[in-house]
Amino acid sequence: MIEVAALRKRFVQGRGRKARTVDAVAGVDWLARDGAITGLLGPNGAGKTTTLRIVAGLIEPDAGAARVDGIEVARDPRAALARTGVLSDARGLYPRLSARENIVYYGRLHGMSADAAAARAEALAAMLDMAPLLDRRTEGFSQGERMKTALARALVHDPPNLILDEPTNGLDVLATRALRDALRRLRDEQGKCIVFSTHIMQEVERLCDEVVVVAHGRTVACGSVQALNARAGQADFEESFVALAFGDRAGERGQGAAQHGGRP
Amino acid sequence: MTRGTPSAVPRRGAHGALRQTWTVLGKELLDALRDRRTLVMVLLSSVAIGPLVLVLISALISGIEQRAEARELMLAGVGHAPTLVNHLQRQTYAVREAPADWEQQLQHSKLADPVVVIPPDFEARLARGEAPEVEVVGSSANQRASSGMRRVVALLEGYNREQAMLRLAVRGVSPAALQAMQVHERDLASPAARAAQIAGMVPFFVLMAVLYGALNAALDTTAGERERGSLEPLLANPASRAAVVWGKWGAVASVAMLIAILSCLSFLPGQWLLKSETLAALFQFGWREAAGFLAVLLPLAGALAALLMAVAIRSKTFKEAQANATVVVLAVSMTPLITLLSQEGEQAWHLWVPALAQVALMRRVLQGQAIGGFDIALTLATCAVLTVLGLAYVARQLRAAAWR
Repeated sequence: MIEVAALRKRFVQGRGRKARTVDAVAGVDWLARDGAITGLLGPNGAGKTTTLRIVAGLIEPDAGAARVDGIEVARDPRAALARTGVLSDARGLYPRLSARENIVYYGRLHGMSADAAAARAEALAAMLDMAPLLDRRTEGFSQGERMKTALARALVHDPPNLILDEPTNGLDVLATRALRDALRRLRDEQGKCIVFSTHIMQEVERLCDEVVVVAHGRTVACGSVQALNARAGQADFEESFVALAFGDRAGERGQGAAQHGGRP
Repeated sequence: MTRGTPSAVPRRGAHGALRQTWTVLGKELLDALRDRRTLVMVLLSSVAIGPLVLVLISALISGIEQRAEARELMLAGVGHAPTLVNHLQRQTYAVREAPADWEQQLQHSKLADPVVVIPPDFEARLARGEAPEVEVVGSSANQRASSGMRRVVALLEGYNREQAMLRLAVRGVSPAALQAMQVHERDLASPAARAAQIAGMVPFFVLMAVLYGALNAALDTTAGERERGSLEPLLANPASRAAVVWGKWGAVASVAMLIAILSCLSFLPGQWLLKSETLAALFQFGWREAAGFLAVLLPLAGALAALLMAVAIRSKTFKEAQANATVVVLAVSMTPLITLLSQEGEQAWHLWVPALAQVALMRRVLQGQAIGGFDIALTLATCAVLTVLGLAYVARQLRAAAWR
């Protein structure tokens, strides 16, 4: 279970006079249950990646908290990370290592023995249908092969929670289908808590049990696809999303300005 | 629905951190060794170039020696001075007429010996007791010819002395009256110290080898990792930042140290290739010297690894890191110049500056001097401080570097 409460993060860009602050995350709340796939849906720059990086312990929030199975990430990042698998936007494989070596390396970093990590790599390769890839160097892998390897690497320590940042970026139809299938199986067979961010409606419609709509660093709405459609009064989810994320944009802006003005 | 529990519980404490450090070190080392093309280039350029230069110097010196042994002299106007030619031949020198365009040949370094120009009225003026003028022509831009100038001038002085003595003897004066004192040359520098002059460039090559050995690995584990986007997932592991940084440093330092060892040892067979016997006798680089070199170089390899990592971690791409690392490369390659340019020779403070201290101590090793335990401890300490500072900076920057 991953819980994000009243999360805020502000970045300072530039230096000296040119410096300006950007509220990347300005009050995001959501809860991702076990045995469910939760989608963070929002336009580019909505604060999805920053939120997921805070959950992965890469960024410390200015206010609010992210909790993984009740462990506050900022307080005990290593305990939280031991219970989380992270597939970041940049797949970041080591091109001179084979897929197997990439996976085993992360297993070792998670404190697994060499044998256990190797066995796990085999099991994951079977599950993700990538056994022939294992002993090839990742240099020259296709996007789909990269994604599978990175996913196996994120799952090597069998974490109960899995977060994925824009996992379908750059994938073709078959690779996207394979990923969807794998995520469903992880949910149904192993009861994992899966969170992924995306800006693609179809992904969310096909996969998510729960959708969190994020815009301008804030949680705008959450619920199942049907519930969100009902709330927006639209039959088409894309229409619902536009209405929820951008519909009251003027109001949002006014609110934001009031908030900024209120601060010292 | 069953809920998976993590099969791996990260071990806390010193033991777990140490194991993670080894894991990172092992992976980075494997990664660096798989980068065959870079590795081969580094090995070729850093390990082979030192002995190669040594062989080139030896070829040059043996050429000079051969010409000295040949005892030949070029005269422009041999026929004008039979007495001088007679004297030179008695000194067992072969006298040859210079080619017609000797001036041009000297300027273009085609002539390897200076030329003595004899005026047509040489014998006549000599007979009248007027001192005829003889020119010794070389070119300071022509290194081979200018090195022979001193020898030729000394030879002509010998003729002067002989003539003077003969004239005095005719007048019944003892030749001893001409010599108020006797002058003998004695060189205080031991053979090893003389060799160190020639071999003075060896520390430079070894230093460069260590630097370039560390450069690629240091950049690859920091800026390269950022460029590939693999730093972010790496830090989403429960490994401590200290373990990651120490592991990476360990791998980079190992590669740099390996290059240091190989380049030091390459001088051992390198000196068998020395053509000149004098140089071979003077440049003594045995196991003892190699061990002395390594004692001062290995700590430096560690410090340079940390320094380069600290410079590179701020760079988003490998290319940017290469540009930034140029500052370090330049600073390290300039240090041997400080000892060369400073008029006062080696200063006490030199030993406090990494790279400069190593060059100074390596020179001492080549001169056959023992290096003291204090000096070793001092360079070790400065390198250790530099290493810790560099790695602390890398650790501090690491998390921000992962996503910026």
